Amino acid sequence: MLSRRGFLKAGGLTLFGVGLMGGIPAFIAEAAAQDKIIAPYKKGKTLVCIFQRGAMDGLMAVTPFTDQYLKEARPGLFMDAAKNGNDNPLIDLDGRFGLHPSMKAFEPMFREKRLGIVHGIGSPNNTRSHFDAQDYMESGTPFNKGTASGWLNRAVGLLGHDALTPFTAVSLTSAMPRSFYGDNPTVAISNLQDFALQMRGNPMGANLAAKSFEELYDQTAPGLLKDTGKESFDALKMLQKADVKNYAPANGAVYPNSALGNSLKQIAQLIKMNVGLEVAFAESNGWDTHFNQGTGNGIFARNVADLSNSMMAFWTDIGSNYQDDVTIMTMTEFGRTVHQNGTGGTDHGRASCNFILGNAVNGGLVHGSMQPLATENLEDGRDLAVTTDFRNVFSEVADKHLKINNDKVLFPDFTAKPIGVFKA
Amino acid sequence: MRSIKSVIIPALVLMGGLLLLSSFYGRHNGNEISKFPYKQAGLTKQQAAAHLLSRFTYGATPGEVDEVANEGLEKWFSQQLDAKLPDDSLNQQLDKFDALRLSNEQITNIYPRPGLVAQRAVKEGLINKDSIQSNKPAYKKLLQDYMDKNGMKPQQELFRQFINQKILRAAYSNNQLQEVMTSFWFNHFNVSITKNQCAEFIPDYERDVIRPNALGKFGDLLLATAKSPAMLYYLDNFSSSSAIEQKPQIMAVNMADTGKQAMLLNKLKKARQQRGLNENYAREVMELHTLGVDGGYTQQDVTQAAKILTGWTVYPMGEYGKGNNVMNAINRGNLANGLVHDGDFLFVPNRHDQGEKTVLSRHFAGNGGYDEGVQLLNMLAHNPSTAKFISRKLAVRFVSDTPPQTLIDKMAKTFLSGDGDIKQVLITMVSAPEFWSKTALRQKTKSPFELAINTVRSLNAQVTQPYQLYNWINRMGEKVYYYQAPTGFPDKGQYWINTGALLNRMNFGLAFASGRVPGVKFDLLKLNKGHEPESTQAALVTYSKIIMPERPLDKTIQQLSPMLNDPQLMAKVDKASKSSTSPVKDALLMVGDSAGRKAKMVVMPKVEDTKASMMAQVVGIIIGSPEYQRR
Repeated sequence: MLSRRGFLKAGGLTLFGVGLMGGIPAFIAEAAAQDKIIAPYKKGKTLVCIFQRGAMDGLMAVTPFTDQYLKEARPGLFMDAAKNGNDNPLIDLDGRFGLHPSMKAFEPMFREKRLGIVHGIGSPNNTRSHFDAQDYMESGTPFNKGTASGWLNRAVGLLGHDALTPFTAVSLTSAMPRSFYGDNPTVAISNLQDFALQMRGNPMGANLAAKSFEELYDQTAPGLLKDTGKESFDALKMLQKADVKNYAPANGAVYPNSALGNSLKQIAQLIKMNVGLEVAFAESNGWDTHFNQGTGNGIFARNVADLSNSMMAFWTDIGSNYQDDVTIMTMTEFGRTVHQNGTGGTDHGRASCNFILGNAVNGGLVHGSMQPLATENLEDGRDLAVTTDFRNVFSEVADKHLKINNDKVLFPDFTAKPIGVFKA
Repeated sequence: MRSIKSVIIPALVLMGGLLLLSSFYGRHNGNEISKFPYKQAGLTKQQAAAHLLSRFTYGATPGEVDEVANEGLEKWFSQQLDAKLPDDSLNQQLDKFDALRLSNEQITNIYPRPGLVAQRAVKEGLINKDSIQSNKPAYKKLLQDYMDKNGMKPQQELFRQFINQKILRAAYSNNQLQEVMTSFWFNHFNVSITKNQCAEFIPDYERDVIRPNALGKFGDLLLATAKSPAMLYYLDNFSSSSAIEQKPQIMAVNMADTGKQAMLLNKLKKARQQRGLNENYAREVMELHTLGVDGGYTQQDVTQAAKILTGWTVYPMGEYGKGNNVMNAINRGNLANGLVHDGDFLFVPNRHDQGEKTVLSRHFAGNGGYDEGVQLLNMLAHNPSTAKFISRKLAVRFVSDTPPQTLIDKMAKTFLSGDGDIKQVLITMVSAPEFWSKTALRQKTKSPFELAINTVRSLNAQVTQPYQLYNWINRMGEKVYYYQAPTGFPDKGQYWINTGALLNRMNFGLAFASGRVPGVKFDLLKLNKGHEPESTQAALVTYSKIIMPERPLDKTIQQLSPMLNDPQLMAKVDKASKSSTSPVKDALLMVGDSAGRKAKMVVMPKVEDTKASMMAQVVGIIIGSPEYQRR
C-alpha cells in the first residue's frame, strides 16, 4: 500500500493537466517520468489464477485409465482411452493418463509442452468441507483460519517494484475473493464496464457529475481519498478510451458464453491494454458433482469443456505477442472419492489435479505421483492421497513467473520445494 | 448511644462530597458520566454533538445535532448506553419478518439447506435419485412442490429478511448505539453466511447472542458466542472431541517387528487424535476474540485450550438435521453424568478430554467437564492482553484508525477494573480529551454500509425495499454477513477505499439522489422546510449544510460553485433530461447500468422538473464527495 501511495504523491502532474479526453493517464505518466515503470506501456508478466469452486474430480479430468482399481470403483463413471467400440475415448496423454475428451482443446497445448498437469495435488489439512478447504487454500495457511490475508495479496506485496497501478491485481468477481484479502491494493469487479460513472438516461448529467467529482477529489486534503480519487478517474478514462464494451477478441478466439469465459475475456482486454495487470483471478463454479456427474456427456463434461475452451480462447486471444508473459493456473479445494456414490456422482475426497498453461511451463507431463488406487494406498481408505502440497506448486509458479522470492511471506510456516512444473 | 456530633460530621462530609461530586458528575439513568471535555478541545456544543453523533450513530438525521445539543450530550449518550428508547414504528416495520422470530430449530425445519431438501425428498422416495439435476426445470418444479407440501421455504428468503431487518434497524432505530455496537461485535466475533453449516444459525446469533450483550459484560458476550451454534459450526468446535483410545484393528495383524508395530500404532493414534481434536476455535478465541495475536499465548496453550473445549457442541435439531447420532446417544442414556443442555448448546461429557490441562500457566485439574471451558473463557475475558486488545479495537472503531495509546491505556484500565463492562469502557473513552481532539474529527472513513445508511438518515428517506440498498452496499465492497474470514472486515479506511469502490460510491450518490435506488423515497423540498432553493448555488449551500451539519464546507462549496454556476447548466441538464431516451454509446461517461448487473433496475420516472433534477444532481454530488465519505 505504502509504495503505491508514495509513488502517486511524488508525481507532479495534476489530473486536469492530462485532460478529460484521452491523453496518458496520470499514474502512467508519473511512473514513466520517474522511470519506475515496470508494467504500464511496457509489457509485464501476468499470472492468471482460476479457482474451480466445488472440488473438481481430478480422477475424471485426468484419468489413470490403466488402473483396474479405479475401473472397479467406478462402474458407471470410468472412462477408457481405448478406441475400440468407444465413441468418446479419453485422450491418451502418456499411456497412463487420459484427458477427458471434452478438454480436447487442451491436447495441442499438452503436445506442444506448454500445458503441465499436476496430479495428486491438495492440502495437508484433510478437511472435506468446501468452505474450510477453500479458505485454507486461498489464505495459503492450511492450519490457520485467522490469517487475515490471501496468498495472492501477499504475492502482490512481493512483486518487488513500486509501480503498482489500479489494475495490478484484479479479480473478475462481484465480491473480493479470500485469495485477495489483505493490505495490498486489489480490485474486485465483475464487469469492467462498471468502471464508470453512471446516470441512467442522462449522459450530460453523468458528464457534469464526473467533472464535479474529479474536481472535488483533486482538491480535497492530501491522503487516501485524494489519491484514490485520482487513480479512479485515470482508470475510468483509460477503460473508456479502450472501449471495453465493444471489445472484439483477436485471432478468431471464441469465448464460451459463460461466467468464466466472460471473466477471461476481460482479463485478456486488460492484458492487451498494458495497464500493469500482474495478478488476475477468476472463478469457475459447479464442480460439486454428487449427483449424475456423467461421463462423455453431462455435468462434468460441460464443466471441463467450459474450463478448457475458456482458457484456450483466452490463450488464442492474447496471441503470440503476450503468450510469453502470461501463465494460467487452475486450482480446486480438493478432489473427489475414488468410488462413485449411490447417485451417479462422487463425494468429497482429497487430492485432485490442476492445470498450468504457459510458454515457460515444463509442459507435456503429468507431474506429481500417484499410487495404484488399491484401498491400502488411499487416504483414509477412500480417497486419492495428496502427494503434492499445493503450496509447492503455487510458490513455484509465483516465484518463476512473477519473480517472487520470498516464500516465507508467501506461505508462512512452510518450506516450499519446487516440483519442476516450470522449466529450469 | 452515639453522640449527635459523630453522626452529623460524617453526614456533612458526605453531603460535601456529594456536592463536590455533583459538580463533576452527571447521573443519567444510573450511568455516571462526567461532562464531556469538548470545550477544552476548542469545540462548540454543536460541533461536539455532531462529532458524538458521527461516532455513535449511523449518521445524524436533519436537525438531530441541535436536538442533542439542547438535550445535553451526556444525557443523550447515557440514554444510548441504556438502549431502552421506544422503537414502536421500527418494530412495526420489523413485524413482517416472520422468519426472524423463529428458533434455530424451527429455522432448520422451515428453511433447510438446499442440499438437505433434495436428500430428504430422495429418502422419502418422492424424487428419483437419478433424476437429480439441479438445472432442469422439471426437477426444480418437483423440488418446489415438495417444499411447498412440507411448508419449507428457500433459505435465501431467510437471509433476505435478516439483511432487510439489519438495514431498517440501522436506519431507524432510536437506540443507534446498540445497533452500532451490534455490528461491531458481530464483526469482532465474525461468522459468515458463506459457510453453509453455520449460515442458518446466523439470524439467531445476532438476535439472541450479540444484540442483547452488545452493551453488557464482555465475558458474558464471549461465553454466549462460544456456546452458539453459529460459532460452534463456523470455527468447527462442534466436532472437536478427545482422542479416542481404541485398540486399532491393525493390532490383529501379527507383526514380527514390534518396533515397527509401535511406530504404526503411534501413527494411527496420531491420526485419530488429529481427527478428534479441532483447534480452530481455541486458536481464534485467543488470537481474534480475546488476547490478540501478540497477546502472549503459545501453540501449546492453543492445543490445551482446545482440549478444554472438547465436547462443546450443538444440541441436535431438525428432523433431518445434523447430529442424529448424538441424539440417539442421548436418548439411549449412554452419556455419562455431566451433560449440559442449555438451549441449542450441548456439552457431551464422553467427548470431553478428561486429562489435566494448563493454559497460560493456569492449571486445570482433570475431569472438570463443562465448567473447565467456562473457567477458561472467563480467564481469557479478564486477561490484561484482552483488555488492551478490545480497548484498542473500540478506539479504532470510534476514534480513528490510529488511536493514541494514552486513550487505549485508560480504556483498558476501566475494562479490567470494571469486570469487562462495555458501557464503562465506552464512558471512559468518550470522557477522555483524546476522543474530542480536533485531530480525531472526521478521521474515520465510512464503510459502504455506513455510507448507505447515513445517506438514508441524512435525507430522512423512507426505505421500503432495503435489499436494494444491500445490493449497493455489496457493490461498494462490503457484503455484510458474507465476510469469509474470522477476522471480520478490517476497520480501516484503506480497506474500503480503492478505485472500483470509490467510483461506486460516487455512482451510489448519483443513483440515490436521483431516485434510482428502487424502494427508497425522500423529499428534498421537505428537507428544506418546503422552500425551493433559488439557484443551484443556493441549493448547494442549503443541502450541504443539511446533509453535513457542523462541518467546514466552504471549500467544497467553493469548488463546486463555478461548475454549477455555468449559465448553460440549466439548459444542459434540461436538454439532457428531455433527450434521454437511450444510452449514448460514445458519451465520455458510460450511461446506464452495466450488462453484467442482474439487479432489476426500475426505470426512473422521467424527471420533468429541471429544478428537481438540478437539486438531485447537487445532492448526488454531495453524497459522492470526499467530505461525505468521512465521518
